[in-house]
Amino acid sequence: MITMWKLEAYTGGSWSMARAALIGTALGAGLFVSLSAARAQTITVWSGYPEMAPFYEHVADGLKASHPDLHVKVEAIDLREHEKRIALALTSDQAGATIIELSGSTAHRYLENDLLPAAPNDVSTFVNDPKNFDAFFANDASKDKIVYAVPLFRGQGSLYYNTEMFAKAGLTGPPKTMEEYNDYAKKLTQRDASGKPTVSGWSMRLSGGGQGIAEKFWTILFQYGGSVLEPAANGKWKANFANEAGRKTLKQYLDNVYISKNVTVDMPADAEAFERGQTAMFMRESWVIGDIASKAPTLKYATAPLPIGSIALPTNLYVKGNGKDAKAAWDFAMATNSPENLVWLLDKVGWLPNRSGVDYSAVTKGQPAFAAFVDYPKGYKFFTLPSIGPIDEVLTRLAAQLTAAYGNPAIAGNDAAIDAVLKTAADETNNILRRESLLAE
Amino acid sequence: MLQRKRWIFAMIAILPTLVIFACVRLYPIADTLRLSLHKWDILSKKKPFIGLANFSELLGDHLFQDALINTTIIAFGVLIITIPTALVVAALIFHRTRSRFASFYETSIFIPYVVSLVPAAMAWKWIFDARLGPLNFLLSNLGIAPQSWLFDPVLSVICVIILCSWQALGYAVLIYLVGFKSLPVSLFEAIKLDGASGPQSFWYLSIPMLKPITLYVSVVTLVSGFNVYAQAFVLASDSQGAPGRLVRVLVLDMLENSFRNYRVGYAASEAVVLLVIVLILTLIQFSLLREKGRP
Amino acid sequence: MIKPTEGSRLRFRRKLIDRTIDLVLVSFSMLMILPLLFLVSNAFKSPSEMLNWPPTIIPTDPTLANFKAVLGETPLLHWIGNSLLFACLSTTCIVSTSALAGYVLGKFRFRSMNIIFFLFLATAVVPFEVYMIPLYFQAQALGVLNSVWGLLLGYMVMSFGIFLIRQNVIHSIPDELLEAARIDGAGEFWIFWRIVLPLLRGALGALAVLAFFQAWTSFAWPMIITTTRETYTIEVGLALFQTGFTVDLGRLSAASAAVLIPSITLFVLLRRNFVQGVASTGLKE
Repeated sequence: MITMWKLEAYTGGSWSMARAALIGTALGAGLFVSLSAARAQTITVWSGYPEMAPFYEHVADGLKASHPDLHVKVEAIDLREHEKRIALALTSDQAGATIIELSGSTAHRYLENDLLPAAPNDVSTFVNDPKNFDAFFANDASKDKIVYAVPLFRGQGSLYYNTEMFAKAGLTGPPKTMEEYNDYAKKLTQRDASGKPTVSGWSMRLSGGGQGIAEKFWTILFQYGGSVLEPAANGKWKANFANEAGRKTLKQYLDNVYISKNVTVDMPADAEAFERGQTAMFMRESWVIGDIASKAPTLKYATAPLPIGSIALPTNLYVKGNGKDAKAAWDFAMATNSPENLVWLLDKVGWLPNRSGVDYSAVTKGQPAFAAFVDYPKGYKFFTLPSIGPIDEVLTRLAAQLTAAYGNPAIAGNDAAIDAVLKTAADETNNILRRESLLAE
Repeated sequence: MLQRKRWIFAMIAILPTLVIFACVRLYPIADTLRLSLHKWDILSKKKPFIGLANFSELLGDHLFQDALINTTIIAFGVLIITIPTALVVAALIFHRTRSRFASFYETSIFIPYVVSLVPAAMAWKWIFDARLGPLNFLLSNLGIAPQSWLFDPVLSVICVIILCSWQALGYAVLIYLVGFKSLPVSLFEAIKLDGASGPQSFWYLSIPMLKPITLYVSVVTLVSGFNVYAQAFVLASDSQGAPGRLVRVLVLDMLENSFRNYRVGYAASEAVVLLVIVLILTLIQFSLLREKGRP
Repeated sequence: MIKPTEGSRLRFRRKLIDRTIDLVLVSFSMLMILPLLFLVSNAFKSPSEMLNWPPTIIPTDPTLANFKAVLGETPLLHWIGNSLLFACLSTTCIVSTSALAGYVLGKFRFRSMNIIFFLFLATAVVPFEVYMIPLYFQAQALGVLNSVWGLLLGYMVMSFGIFLIRQNVIHSIPDELLEAARIDGAGEFWIFWRIVLPLLRGALGALAVLAFFQAWTSFAWPMIITTTRETYTIEVGLALFQTGFTVDLGRLSAASAAVLIPSITLFVLLRRNFVQGVASTGLKE
């Protein structure tokens, strides 16, 4: 170390540089020491939703009585980066225990490769009890009837609409069919003198990273009776959107963008736009309720279920680790599902807890917007992402195809062109499935 | 005897660097070549050999083709903008080198190069914003309709080119400045006596004599152009409500294939293609710009 | 023969050209730093002012709320510390390996040395991103993921650095000097330490600045190596900046503006080294 310092000192009038090097190294040593200070028992929570960080900290606080030595570190980052770090970290050895928040479909590939351990017996019993979790959620957290995780929350889509804008446009209630969506969008769009939309009638997901576009497309496709991937016999799948349902869906997007001109790609979109009054309605998950409460508390809005059904994406808590730390981690995972914590989750964060038999009425009465998510009509259908290895790749590639299609005015109104686009995308999907030996022939 | 002692010293001295080099450079490069011939998703323990199957899949992959086209356009765009601009600016600064402003010029042109990539890209992202950005404001004052810079397929690529050139210019200008300072003054005086004007001596004397520098700057700029990633990442960053169109570049496609689709072998084959392209372009530049008659 | 009036006309013309060039250069320089000025001004804007149209350069209602939020809620200073540590370590490593290797390759012309030199040269053109992924798995195998050592792994040597020093050694260190020292009975290491290094001062300074900023502004590698907020470098931290559900542009600008300060300070301090060093590298070959 000293030799290095002398070397720096020789390099041209750079006492400042030598000093910088010294300071830098000292800082680093200090950081190092603080980072590697030993803790009694540390578990780390990895989450893909930054808004969940306060929840996990709340759960940790609740555990202080029973686990005085426990230190919980919460690392919540952007979802795509979160999935990446899991892929990279699970294949190498980690110290301590990590609680990994992951959706069941993404977790599948790790379970296939034996990279996540099964849950201990008490957790297993808890999850499999039908009084605690509907079979749908228990299955999502299991593989071949073995439980690997504790279900926590789900993403479920509903419609958010601005009641003031609706009243101004003479509309009394939310749209009930997909055709009504188009009508309403036209009536709600506000335009400037040249006819350009300034407030979009319906904010559709037209751009942005990753698979979100594909998931939103699938949601609308579902209302028309289609799906991106359809299961066939013996665990195989095939693409199911190069058909009339797919055409209707893509047409709806293109008509709204290019024919009725209710929304354009570069307009502000999504939750932020809704909060700022730049769009009249959009579809999203329940976390928006908490976002609106903190960023636009005076916004007059309501929620409504979708015409046929919605996506339900369960997210579970898996544990990676050994020994005492792992036990503490599973205790933590179980603690997240205590009724008190789940009510806190719904109230303060807004994601929907999966556990049944808990009384959420205190929250839903205070915030009627939750009604659309928990009080859905009889016969409401749900779909979820298939638990297969290449699901991310399929959706990402589909998203790229759709983004190109949404940006292409030439195909709007041209049924043949729309069909061609869908066929290309479906072929690509099937190729991926074939490559992974998952294609139903 | 002395030679032997010197040889031993040389070997010992270079050994640490050589070992490090072998570990962090030679081995990974070889491994990339090896992985490109295998099929491996990060998680599984089996890595079957599949020959050139990855490469043939690449040929038909439209996302890869998009990435290749975008990256090529961006790299050459940056090159075409940076080299002439840097030459001219450096010449101008050199002309005024004795004034007190010279260091101000140098500093302000070089700052974009040393400023962290992400803040700078965020600054430009705001400038390009269709609804809020000053660029559209300026254009509307000049009578041009505001454009959606970050969403249009063509304009978004131009945005990346502008951002990259802005960052690369400083380094190029500095290197050229050094070159100008080392040009022999006597030649310039001679040509002035012959009646040549400023621009003429620039064109006929400076540019040819700066060829080695142009070669260096052009190789460096083009190679870093092909490796563009951070800029595309930030300009398209997923801030909900205002994501830009993702300009797909090679490195981005590679990382997506490795860490999102978990196809490391496939990503490695992309890396090999990138390597081959860079090597070929470097060779071309060397043969075009090399001084004739030099070893 | 130049008449007095012609002389003054010539002088006037030269002054006019000078002033024009100054005008062009000043506007150009201002354009270059304008985006950064915007960034700083955005940092002081309140959320509602960010949405103003037309956009303002000088905030009408400046607020420090963004800075307070950023410094309080995100480990920004920690990230700056990480970047600083990483850059210093990398610079030290690169300067020492380049100095030694460059000297040896420049002055010890053995066959084996030429082969080694060719090896370094050949890999110089290979972009880092090409072999980044296997290097990542190496870091994983060594267990240095998510640490400053993992970051360092990709930035320990710089082919260009070796090249630079070698050029400098060839052009500015005369063989006679070394021979004289050898005849006087000096050992090889002593020669390197006492004679060669001081002469390389300028070039090493330039290299140090280059290496420092290369590590300071590196993006792709830290993105895949660091996985916890504590270990982010500045670039990664800002790129993944997200507190709560969405990204707040005002806060992001504040964080970015805050990061500009160390960057520019360091540059201003080290600029002279760099320019001198580059000049003495004999790039004019």
